[in-house]
Amino acid sequence: MTKMVRKANAFEILNHWVSVISFFILAVSGFGFLFHLEQLNSIFGDFNRMKVVHNWTGVAFAVSVLFKIFMYLPESLSLSADDLGWFIKGGGYFSRNAVVPPQGRLNAGQKLFALFVVFAGSAISASGLVIWLMPGVRKWILISHLVHNISFDLMIIAVPLHIYLATLANPGTFRIMIYGTVPLEWAKKRHAKWVQKMGY
Amino acid sequence: MNRKGLLISPELCIGCRGCQTACKSWNRLPATRTVNKGTTENPPDLTPSLYNKIRYVEMPLASGLRWLFVSQRCMHCGDAGCMKICPAPGALFRTKEGAVAFNKEKCIGCKLCVAGCPFNVPRYDENDKISKCHLCSDRIAEGLSPACAKVCPTGAIFYGDRVSLTGKAQNAGYKKLYGESDLEGLGVLYAFKDAPEVYGMDGKPAIPESVVFWHKVLKPLAYWGLGGAVAASLLHYVTFGPNKDGGDEGGEQK
Repeated sequence: MTKMVRKANAFEILNHWVSVISFFILAVSGFGFLFHLEQLNSIFGDFNRMKVVHNWTGVAFAVSVLFKIFMYLPESLSLSADDLGWFIKGGGYFSRNAVVPPQGRLNAGQKLFALFVVFAGSAISASGLVIWLMPGVRKWILISHLVHNISFDLMIIAVPLHIYLATLANPGTFRIMIYGTVPLEWAKKRHAKWVQKMGY
Repeated sequence: MNRKGLLISPELCIGCRGCQTACKSWNRLPATRTVNKGTTENPPDLTPSLYNKIRYVEMPLASGLRWLFVSQRCMHCGDAGCMKICPAPGALFRTKEGAVAFNKEKCIGCKLCVAGCPFNVPRYDENDKISKCHLCSDRIAEGLSPACAKVCPTGAIFYGDRVSLTGKAQNAGYKKLYGESDLEGLGVLYAFKDAPEVYGMDGKPAIPESVVFWHKVLKPLAYWGLGGAVAASLLHYVTFGPNKDGGDEGGEQK
């Protein structure tokens, strides 16, 4: 039997699914608001209801981002020479036989994405709350509207790449979202420093 | 249909505020109790139940006083910031006469239009729905003039084809009108004798730069970015391919 090691605990998995589902609902309704997609009325009813769904789903997303700050921020900020080396090699994604420096529990790219999610997620949540709760305060609304849309654009670019990297690009990664575990041999090749630290 | 508009001539206005009353009457807007602030101007600002009002500008002169009466309302901009930023389809719409009208049932009460408007016009009623001058879109659709223009005793508020309004003002000796070209032309033109600022108007009205940037750059980037990221992922998959090294279901060990 393949020896498995735990990479994510149950709470991490649950929190990630909250992000996944809320982000999807928020992005779809967000596109609806941006481009007046009245076809979405068949899902949400009308734009008044879509606004209510968008706002409250945003609260769920914001809470999941808040947990991410505690779960990933310290680890993501501890960058080493190996992380720099990983970036120089482009994560090994642009050559079939690239060798990247050994990585911790999160590789350099995952650290970068975690930082991105924490900052862009906080920005989009905070600006969304301002638009929701301070309507009509012109100066604040204009800034928040800009921040909300810039962070949305960045996320709508980064999230598909994140999904690709966690599924098709790296077979064996997606199971973490379900079971939280990975084969030890798989972990040794991709997260050598983490495996070493655990004492295998 | 020709774009319709109003020509406002402060020099003709006698400050009777018949327009305010006629507007309330036609649009069934309730009166509001106000406080005397030592000026004849009343109420002090537009409200959800006051679509148009006369601003009283009191200009002290060397001897005496100059009174300027300026009709203040939605300008029915050719390029309307409120319509641009509004996320709810049909909440704000352009009538065939060129007026910017609204549908309270479609309004979602987000108040983004307040931020998008260069003239600080949109107000919200007690149900958080937009409320503003709609150029009596129900009247003009039937060929009638808006209530304010209909009742104005001096022609200070004059309704007609927008192009003919320019000619009318020129005949009256005004070379340039306020609102002729700003924001793709305002639906409300002003015949000012002095600089617009004297009348309490913004000399260079514009949609906030951030809203223009959002409209021109951030909106298209949302779908180009999404499409680009998906395309780049697929391209990577078929060129460099997945990282199967150590994958338990990939099987191919290099």
